[in-house]
Amino acid sequence: MRSGHAWHDRHIGYLFVLPATLMLVVVLIFPAFITLKASVTPQGGAGWHFTLAHYQKTLHDPVLLQTFKNTFAFVAWSLVGHFILGLSLALALNQALPGQTFFRLVALIPWTIPDVVAGIFFRWVLNPIHGAMNPLIRMVFPSFPAEFTWLSNPTLAFPSVIIANVWRGYPLVMVMLLAGLMAIPRELYEAAAVDGAGRLRRFFHITLPGLSTIITIALALDMVWEFRRFALVVAMTGGGPGTLTEVLSTLVYKTYFQFFTFEYASAMAILMSAVLFVLSLPYIILVGRER
Amino acid sequence: MSSRLSSELRERRVDAVMSYSLLVLAAAFAIFPFIFMLSTSFKSEAESLSLPVSWIPKHFTLQAYSEMWTLKPFGVYFWNSIVVSGVTAVLSTVVGALAGYGFSRFQFRGRTSLLAFFLATQMISGVLVIGPYFQILAALDLYNTLTGLIIAYVTICLPFAAWMSKGYFDSIPKELDEAGLVDGASRLQIFFRIICPIAVPGTVSTLLFAFLLAWQDLLWAMCLVSIDEKRTVTLGVAYLVGEFVIQWPMLTAASLIGSLPTILLYLFLQRYYVEGLARGAVKG
Repeated sequence: MRSGHAWHDRHIGYLFVLPATLMLVVVLIFPAFITLKASVTPQGGAGWHFTLAHYQKTLHDPVLLQTFKNTFAFVAWSLVGHFILGLSLALALNQALPGQTFFRLVALIPWTIPDVVAGIFFRWVLNPIHGAMNPLIRMVFPSFPAEFTWLSNPTLAFPSVIIANVWRGYPLVMVMLLAGLMAIPRELYEAAAVDGAGRLRRFFHITLPGLSTIITIALALDMVWEFRRFALVVAMTGGGPGTLTEVLSTLVYKTYFQFFTFEYASAMAILMSAVLFVLSLPYIILVGRER
Repeated sequence: MSSRLSSELRERRVDAVMSYSLLVLAAAFAIFPFIFMLSTSFKSEAESLSLPVSWIPKHFTLQAYSEMWTLKPFGVYFWNSIVVSGVTAVLSTVVGALAGYGFSRFQFRGRTSLLAFFLATQMISGVLVIGPYFQILAALDLYNTLTGLIIAYVTICLPFAAWMSKGYFDSIPKELDEAGLVDGASRLQIFFRIICPIAVPGTVSTLLFAFLLAWQDLLWAMCLVSIDEKRTVTLGVAYLVGEFVIQWPMLTAASLIGSLPTILLYLFLQRYYVEGLARGAVKG
């Protein structure tokens, strides 16, 4: 009777996971394979002709190279900003100070706003003539140029996009780290205080070790998200000036849906995914081991 | 003893001062673009382009908020977004919870690999699959339909939904299932009648995640919808910003109204979200 139950259970487990698995295969895995196939199919060709021409082309494509560099810088700086802001705000919010609910809600606002809207916000704020940024800076530094351009300035366009993305993304890291902080038992701090451990020692010996798993997970997830960021760039700069703020998502989108070179776009998308996979491999292994 | 107490008190005060300064600065950073948008949305178009730039509208007007419904079809965009996000939230939560329950309660063969597979699909970029998915939809006559969008969004949310609910179900004692089995209930009955009601906090966070994802997405909507009647709010706003002459008051008004559901949902339900994150994703 018992073993019969176990046999039944083993199979009914499949039924529970079947619908989700099926959808993932049909909507994500199957199209991914089609993209893989297109990436090794001659331009405009059908059937099973094999070519590596598109991948060879990617090696000599200055725009793609620039876009890869942009994406790496975008991800790296976003993570740095998210981590610094997220951790310091989580620490500040974890002290149960009066008014902390208000501050938490305000600090969360950027996250509740769609990417597109965030891009529009900063596009308008940084507008050289009618935006709010230049007058604000001129209040502090009156000699600052009145019609200073941000988003059409080749050196400042990209940092501006990164700052907008830091604004957009720090709350999620903050929320995750705050949840982690709250999970650290108070007694640990009390015991350390009795032992006479100072603020810094408590931070490095209790807080950071207690947070290490969550920090890893938060930053790894954040990396994957930022690597694919699309709407913010589209709304804020559209990739311009020129291709200076282009990231991989926007470039692949344009190559596919505006230039209609499907095969080349597919090769780019495969490269992009391969890089993302390699970058997130440590995280996958880590989480896989822990489960 | 008393000196330690006083030094501790001082330390706490320093912490509080530092925390408050940081919080005030961060709040200013978080809110400042938002305030400027709000201010612009209450201006006339002429005033939004007049100098010097003002933070408070001189002639307060709701013109932009009325024109977005009359001059542009934002009513239609809104309805589309509500349908797409609502259906996505419910479907992905149900399908994800089924999978999460399967992973949590059954030791079937290939379970670990399948879990890893779910996790790995989260790494798939939209742009990797969107082209072929677009072609499939076109072949099925589902291009330019909300159904095509919903199927995509539900699938994207599934790994997260399954992962989160698995974590949640793991924290519910298995004895409850066993009690149900003893009473002669089927596994599906146990899932829906006993486990689901307890798992509601976990479900709320998944609902919220899916709703937000669908509401905020631009990439899929941009590729799968080309006609005005099927555009979502984010898509409508993105088209406004692409127009040759941007009407900033209307664009900011539409952006703010378009963000309203996500802002409200989040403010009301953030406790669930944090709880859910802590249980589902954060707990190592």
